[in-house]
Amino acid sequence: MRRKPRMRSVWVFHLNTGACNGCDIEILDVLTPYYDAERLGIKLVGSPRHADALLVTGPLTRQTYYAAKAVYEAMPPTPRIVIAVGTCACSGGIFYDSYAVHGGIDKLLPVDMYVPGCPPRPEEIIYGLAQLLGLVEKKVRGETYRDEEHEFRPEAPIVDRLWYDLRQVLTRIVGYFDRETVLNEFVSLVKEAYRRSNPRQALRSLVEEYCAKEEDPRIALAMRLLLNEFETLVDRYRDEGYPVEDLLKGLE
Amino acid sequence: MSYVTLPYPFKPVEAPPEYRGKPVVDPSKCIGCGACANACPPDAIRMEIDEAKGVKRLILDVSRCIRCARCEEVCPMGAVKLSREFELATPRKEDLVTVIELKLFRCRVCGKPTEFTVRQVEKAKSLARYLPKERFEEILESMTLCRDCRRSRYVSKLVEIEIRGYVGSMGGLHA
Repeated sequence: MRRKPRMRSVWVFHLNTGACNGCDIEILDVLTPYYDAERLGIKLVGSPRHADALLVTGPLTRQTYYAAKAVYEAMPPTPRIVIAVGTCACSGGIFYDSYAVHGGIDKLLPVDMYVPGCPPRPEEIIYGLAQLLGLVEKKVRGETYRDEEHEFRPEAPIVDRLWYDLRQVLTRIVGYFDRETVLNEFVSLVKEAYRRSNPRQALRSLVEEYCAKEEDPRIALAMRLLLNEFETLVDRYRDEGYPVEDLLKGLE
Repeated sequence: MSYVTLPYPFKPVEAPPEYRGKPVVDPSKCIGCGACANACPPDAIRMEIDEAKGVKRLILDVSRCIRCARCEEVCPMGAVKLSREFELATPRKEDLVTVIELKLFRCRVCGKPTEFTVRQVEKAKSLARYLPKERFEEILESMTLCRDCRRSRYVSKLVEIEIRGYVGSMGGLHA
């Protein structure tokens, strides 16, 4: 990295090199009163001739290659800071192997700050800018792990498989975000049922009790569906020769 | 400073619980099956086999990750999770790369490294141990071979069956 003079107030020019506008909207957010980048001395200017820094978004398409070059050359010779905002500007992102893009602004310009994210939150962009101003320290670090340093224990793989299958079923009803919560509720019911003498019957009555108490009809529906799917899966695993019911009884 | 403005970066903020941030691979859970590398749309996760060193490398490049969470969805071990970490800005791209090195399994006949890892075999054993004993041993026998040895074992078995059939059609060995 080239050494830059310590800056107090950075004037930035926003350059879009073929982005989907996701990152551009986040840059707009940074300038709103809620995030207010101007309190850090960051100001958006309308011409690269006034700019200290370029906020670059987009994977650098072939169309924008020479325009980006012209913008960089129009900037004052110092300090010419380049900030790559978003995954596309950092490395090409999802478009990295397309014939129409060069794959990241670092193919053309020397980059001083990478802000990955698709799109990055306004906080992420502020964090990158603040790092440039020397207000915060870098947090990430490249790491290499080796398997001998970390002990591997395959734990209850069949029961895990069961939960993964049920999670897939749940995704169709309650979506990606809420499924973990609903599944955890169901798992706790299963554990309670398998502590009793007749687990199948106990689980059915427990789920019925739960559904009667639950106010949200969608969760009640999901629970009933999970019960149905659970019984089918347990039967199938048992027929294939896996002692899944014994394993469920041994759960903590 | 007014009431409206967020005091970040002078005071820390937390991302909302549904936020998908930097993907984190748990090195004590990963078996190196490559399901994540297969599913990753921008190829941010790559699998690399290094036969000279006898290791398989999972290379996660966060600077190319689009936070789609396909890897979390397909991981059979629950090793990949998208964390809520978002403070990723860095002047060096190498800071965003995580590498996990897993030892390759060596073939029990020829001793050459296979294309799967020791952990994958352990995981398969932990699943197969509930099967009947003969079936378990049969699986174990073919599982612990490299691709070439498995092929030659299969061919020699086929040849054996063929010869037996041929001799049988001639009316036995002493016809």
